Amino acid sequence: MSEVRSIAEKVRMISVKTDKFKTSQILVSFAVPIGDSLAANGLLIYLLKRSCKSYPDFTLLNRKLDELYGATLGAGIAKNGDAQVLNISITYIDDRFSLDGESISDCCAQLISEMIFNPNIKNKSFGSAALEEERRLMIQRVESELDDKASYAYEHLIANMCEKEPYGRCRYGTIEEIKAVRMADVYDAWRNILETAVIQITTIGSGDPEKVASVFEKGFSAIKRNPVEPETVYVKRGGRFRRIEESFPVNQGKLVIGFRTGTESFMDNRFAVTVMNDIFGGGTYSKLFTNVREKLSLAYYCSSSFIPSKGILVVQSGIDSDKEKTVTAAVINQLGEIRNSKNDDSLLEDSKRSLRERFTFSSPEAIVVWYSSQLLQQNILEPEEMINGIEEVTMEQVVEASKKLSIDTIFMLSSEGETE
Amino acid sequence: MMKIKEIRNDKLGESVFTAVHPSGLRIFVMPKAGYDSVYALFGTKYGSIDTAVRNENDEFETIPEGTAHFLEHKLFESEDLNAFERFAETGASANAFTSFENTAYLFKSSGDIEKSLEILLDFVQNPYFTAETVEKEQGIIGQEIRMYQDLPDWKVMFNLLKALYTDHPVRIDIAGTQESIAKIDADLLYRLYNKFYNTSNMVLSVVGGIEPEKVVEIVNRVIKAKEGEPICRKFVKENPVPEKNYVEEALSVSRKQFILGFKEDISEPELSLKDEIATDIMLDAICGHSSDLFKSLMDEKLIDMSFDGSLFNGFGYSCVMFSGTSDDPERVSQMIKDEIERVKKQGIDPDAFNRAKRRFYGSFVSDYNSISSVANRLMSMSFNENKPFDEIKICSAITLKDAQKRLGILENDYSALSVITPVS
Repeated sequence: MSEVRSIAEKVRMISVKTDKFKTSQILVSFAVPIGDSLAANGLLIYLLKRSCKSYPDFTLLNRKLDELYGATLGAGIAKNGDAQVLNISITYIDDRFSLDGESISDCCAQLISEMIFNPNIKNKSFGSAALEEERRLMIQRVESELDDKASYAYEHLIANMCEKEPYGRCRYGTIEEIKAVRMADVYDAWRNILETAVIQITTIGSGDPEKVASVFEKGFSAIKRNPVEPETVYVKRGGRFRRIEESFPVNQGKLVIGFRTGTESFMDNRFAVTVMNDIFGGGTYSKLFTNVREKLSLAYYCSSSFIPSKGILVVQSGIDSDKEKTVTAAVINQLGEIRNSKNDDSLLEDSKRSLRERFTFSSPEAIVVWYSSQLLQQNILEPEEMINGIEEVTMEQVVEASKKLSIDTIFMLSSEGETE
Repeated sequence: MMKIKEIRNDKLGESVFTAVHPSGLRIFVMPKAGYDSVYALFGTKYGSIDTAVRNENDEFETIPEGTAHFLEHKLFESEDLNAFERFAETGASANAFTSFENTAYLFKSSGDIEKSLEILLDFVQNPYFTAETVEKEQGIIGQEIRMYQDLPDWKVMFNLLKALYTDHPVRIDIAGTQESIAKIDADLLYRLYNKFYNTSNMVLSVVGGIEPEKVVEIVNRVIKAKEGEPICRKFVKENPVPEKNYVEEALSVSRKQFILGFKEDISEPELSLKDEIATDIMLDAICGHSSDLFKSLMDEKLIDMSFDGSLFNGFGYSCVMFSGTSDDPERVSQMIKDEIERVKKQGIDPDAFNRAKRRFYGSFVSDYNSISSVANRLMSMSFNENKPFDEIKICSAITLKDAQKRLGILENDYSALSVITPVS
């Protein structure tokens, strides 16, 4: 169970106090509406991660982290509905494992707060060498999307399907935007996220959350907050169906099919859609696994995932490019079976048991992800509530939820010279 | 009655309970207070490097590449309900993997843990292969192989292994090739199953919310002794000189990816745990994020944050891999080699060594968060005849001299560079 504190206006802290893990983690997430400053925000979070006033360069900072028994700093950029979320975190082993009695936790809480509130800035500049290095790394990050064809196909499905919604944007911004960012933009992005982002500090570990809270209260006491709540567009039904194809010199094609679920908010029909998605393409008992893979042996993987923050469901599979129509037909056929209630009685119970297992988290990372994904929600949903909600779902509700699925876009990444 | 022995580590506050079943099966249990889930691994010492088996006439017979992995897929099958269908009744998430040296079957469960453990032990003991199901699997694994062929980080590694090793089967793909798996039939699978899946060649490791007595009771009930012996692998010493010094392949990628590999001239088939840890610490001191080399490479815009140096070893093979993404892998290689020469002359900086050692201590402690990493560690330790918690003790005792000694394995003559270039 988590504990919630308010640190400042629209800055809340969610802490899970437990000593069952060896490590602790502090994750700070900033949510801002997806707009013109995607690229500047992205560069900012990596600049914050690379140094701070006390450890003004990357090497010095990493030496300090080594001394803290390999405490790890993380930074990342994600989308949560139509919001861009900037994450910065620190993970460290508990004080009881320290070899010379110093407090690792106090040091790490201080460090991450300093990185956020007291970065290595002189005259509103993060230093041009630092900015140029992060710019180079960010451009490479965007370009390297090509290296993993499964995620390339997924990202391009989303970009096409949501081209009229902010969610369709690349979370890092475009390469042109990254190239155009000036130092003043990054500085403004820093002030902007401190003043206007919806912020959540998620912590897990054996330490006293009050100590972490006071460090952040102090940081925010000097900031005049003026928060802007990001809003998300939910498209209830797919419009005109579109199919987009790109071909590459690859061995295996990737088929990605995007559906709208008809949900209109993060919690709208959440439990039923979660179960429906799982029966469709979640576990090894799911329709897609048992048919597309096991029965038809068309693929090594064929699965579906539900994105509640956007009301989208995505089916992904790696296939021979010349089997696209066969696999698509098999996927649609399986959806039809759910809609027509052609489901084994055991499937609902299989799915509930498996989901119960998957929402019984056994790592600190999984727990932190669970709470941080709710940073834009007013009320916190506990994992137990999720499990109980799922328990109540009936097959009729699953069938209803499946009827609301509407196909929107297909993205086919095909092997060159091997298309249908 | 099986005797259960406790191995305790006070600093971590953890205990591992071990026992050996009369069938020869080795059992490891780490109960974790406060964990609702259990992660269990049932593994055999049979991996992709076992490409030859000793037959009745005591001769080594070659088997098709990818057979261990194929067998792993097929063991889920049964005459009645397959293993996935059986696990669906307990809610466990089940899976399996084949590595160079092992095959392991696993589940994570928070529901009916005892039943899940029974299913795991039972399905692995009851093979069922038919011509029809074998053929069907060739389609699924064929897609798995194709998927891996498009993954640049996978390709760059296997291309390196093929360049470094002339004979050792670590150079072949774990899943084999479309051609090699076409040679697999039900009869072969049964023969290999009987050879490698005997209980004295196997380990059970269970971590999480369960008591050792319970595990032992279930093992007693479900495990049938199967005759056989632990597998003895044949150590063939390889010429330390690589097959090739440079290998390149074009794939659909954004920029060049590389691994610079150094093959170790080994005289024993396996490294000691101490040498493994000393090597990792040495590498971290040379090229970790806080090293001078990392900074120079970054300053020259030659690498990104993925740059890494690590040891890669197993039965009969050991090498160091420096991997990364770069527009100029040759230049990166040269700078790594120059730095190695410099450190060989001047010695590892004692501060860098101490920092790396602290970092590894922290990472070994952190590993005990995860029930899956503990279960995996217990299994591989057992196969390598190490004891639980050895890594923490050994890490604390590593000296600068130990790390220094391992620098010697980085010989230019024994190195090779593997590069993936973008398709033009």
